[in-house]
Amino acid sequence: MDASLHRRTGAVAFFYWLWDGLDRTIFTGIKFSFPARFVSPFGFLGMLTFVVFIILGISGALLMFYYQPMLDRAWNSVQFINNEVPFGFHIRNIHYHASNAMVLLAILHMYYQYFSGRYKIRNEILWATGVILGTVTILEAFTGYDIIFSERAELAISIAASLTTSIPVAGPTIRDAMFGSGFSDFVLRFYAQHVFVLPLVMLGLMAVHFPRFLVFDVPMVMAIGGAILLSGGVFPVDLGFKFVPTQPPGVTVPEWYLTGLYAFLRTQYDKFVTGVLWPGLFIASFLLIPFIDRYKKFSWKDRPIITAFGITGIAQIMVTTYWGFYIPSDVNIPLVQRLVVDPIFLYVVMILLVPLGFGFSYMMIKLAKESERKAKLAKDKGPKKVATINLSQKWINWLIVGLLAFQVFLNIAAYNAALTGMKNISLFFIGIILIVFAGFFHLYRYGLNQAKNAPPPPPVHIPEEKPKELAEPQIVPSKNPESHSLNDPKKEPKIEPQISTPKIQADAGINAARNFDFGSSDLKKP
Amino acid sequence: MSEQGTKKSGGLSRRDFLKLMGAAGTGLAFAPFVPFGNFMPNPSQANLEKAKVILPDGSQANVKTFESNHAEVITYPSTGDPALDTEAFRKWQFIRLPEELGGVKNDVSSFRAYSMVCLHLWCLWKYWPENGRKRGECPCHGSMYDPTTGTAFAGPASLQAAPSNTLAQLNFELDTDGFLWIKPPTWGVNANGVIGYGRFVT
Repeated sequence: MDASLHRRTGAVAFFYWLWDGLDRTIFTGIKFSFPARFVSPFGFLGMLTFVVFIILGISGALLMFYYQPMLDRAWNSVQFINNEVPFGFHIRNIHYHASNAMVLLAILHMYYQYFSGRYKIRNEILWATGVILGTVTILEAFTGYDIIFSERAELAISIAASLTTSIPVAGPTIRDAMFGSGFSDFVLRFYAQHVFVLPLVMLGLMAVHFPRFLVFDVPMVMAIGGAILLSGGVFPVDLGFKFVPTQPPGVTVPEWYLTGLYAFLRTQYDKFVTGVLWPGLFIASFLLIPFIDRYKKFSWKDRPIITAFGITGIAQIMVTTYWGFYIPSDVNIPLVQRLVVDPIFLYVVMILLVPLGFGFSYMMIKLAKESERKAKLAKDKGPKKVATINLSQKWINWLIVGLLAFQVFLNIAAYNAALTGMKNISLFFIGIILIVFAGFFHLYRYGLNQAKNAPPPPPVHIPEEKPKELAEPQIVPSKNPESHSLNDPKKEPKIEPQISTPKIQADAGINAARNFDFGSSDLKKP
Repeated sequence: MSEQGTKKSGGLSRRDFLKLMGAAGTGLAFAPFVPFGNFMPNPSQANLEKAKVILPDGSQANVKTFESNHAEVITYPSTGDPALDTEAFRKWQFIRLPEELGGVKNDVSSFRAYSMVCLHLWCLWKYWPENGRKRGECPCHGSMYDPTTGTAFAGPASLQAAPSNTLAQLNFELDTDGFLWIKPPTWGVNANGVIGYGRFVT
């Protein structure tokens, strides 16, 4: 059989046809870019959160094949997934650690937008849907760890149900309608909410939340995936103890994103105020920030009050998160003394953090402005202090070969580990494979850029074939591919040089196949 | 008819009025679906009948053999469905009081059964018979319950206003052989109490 070197064979033509068909869909309205060089992941944390959401959807769907949302079977089915089902351990750990990663990424995403003032310029709707989306994300993660129905899960469910009941007037009705009448209902309905209702709500909010400009950075996505697997390998999630009502559970704390709330619950004050009103106010203040922030500028340096407000909030979250975790291990003192957080102590610390937060942000702003001023002074004289790593073509190739060999080794190691039953070690190796792939891809991308910046081949005289009008001046490849589209050369009438310059191959379209532009900017239609 | 266009209406035009009527009609058309909200709460109610006090080992509790200062977990109302019977809302701490608190007499006055659902945040508390404790303690936030009345005396549950500081309870009957039976309860704050909400001490 002779293979055709012609590009548009049947299958390729079919894919082109599919790709062209996207013209009629919503996707053409979205500007999707694959950055051709390293860009700070802070700018596309939202996209990373979405990718983790997809990972959670897939791993969660797989878990649904085995999980049984029944009071007396839930824990056993999770145990079955963990211990008996091939790769069940892997899937469960991916699902668990991805849930933590999603909450973490969503929080980081929010704070980046907060401090960079991105909720301004008519982004208020994006911000508000984002805050609600974040709250739903935490509820989603919370319902997820509850339906294992371990001891800790049972306590979490009981706290959620009783907090709902504590809402004045409507509380008991809401609880009865949403969660049901008892734990059998709670588990089943938390499950229904976890796998269907809340993800549906999230997808609906996402449709509103997605901006038109999206960045999909393959290495960073791979690195996040690798980090999830890696943490699954290093800290495999345990099953907890099966909840048995005749044996009351031991002391447990919730997941890290709820211990802050737990610290407030432990002050003994009214459960509605501490458990529903405080977090409600916290979320409401985030919702209202775009309408309170009246600064005309974006940078955190130019919005001192908002910055201080945010830093105080972060400090309070960190302190209460740790405080919620902390339970004295001395079992001789009564439980109530171990568990109760002194309310006066806690609230005094919370209040003291306000001047500290403001002082800290004032100091940060001072320092930032000072260093900005110094940098401006230093720019005029003195050398540029940007360190770069310059690798030659040869070394890039060798590094890529080396990384490939390392990946092969890791693959074999992961496979061996899985065969011998060392599940978490295999998970660990797969995590490293993904991270190595991220490095691999980044290096490849770097190599492509280097090749683009390489000096052109020596000029070879070729006979003049084209008419004069077509011989446009060569566009200098711009150093920054992102700005490529911005500096689009304007088709200005240009006076032809009188003396004909020697032509090089590139001018005549020779070596066009060496146009390393692919992947460097937005997806182009063929 | 001729002056229709020239007259100014009092604020609500005919068109707006008809729109409002249309909206009200649409709303009313859906009114029969409001009771469909009853789909959400679970209607299953176990029958509240007189039942034996069945201990975890399967035997019926007897005043002559059940030790003082000792507690077991009992299930009421029992459904026979093992999944539903693990339900925390059906679990009660069945306690024979320690002797110094009135657990000497071989009659119902020595026995208590309180809902295991803590009144604070619904964790499950447990009776601790050790010397110096002899009280119910909740593992979550450390609420402590007096075994004689079921009223919280320490921890967050004790700070809640009545009736949310006293546990729901079951009452007993004794037959001639000394076996204990649970009297059919009435769920109400002035009777046996509401599980997870509380009871007024009478």
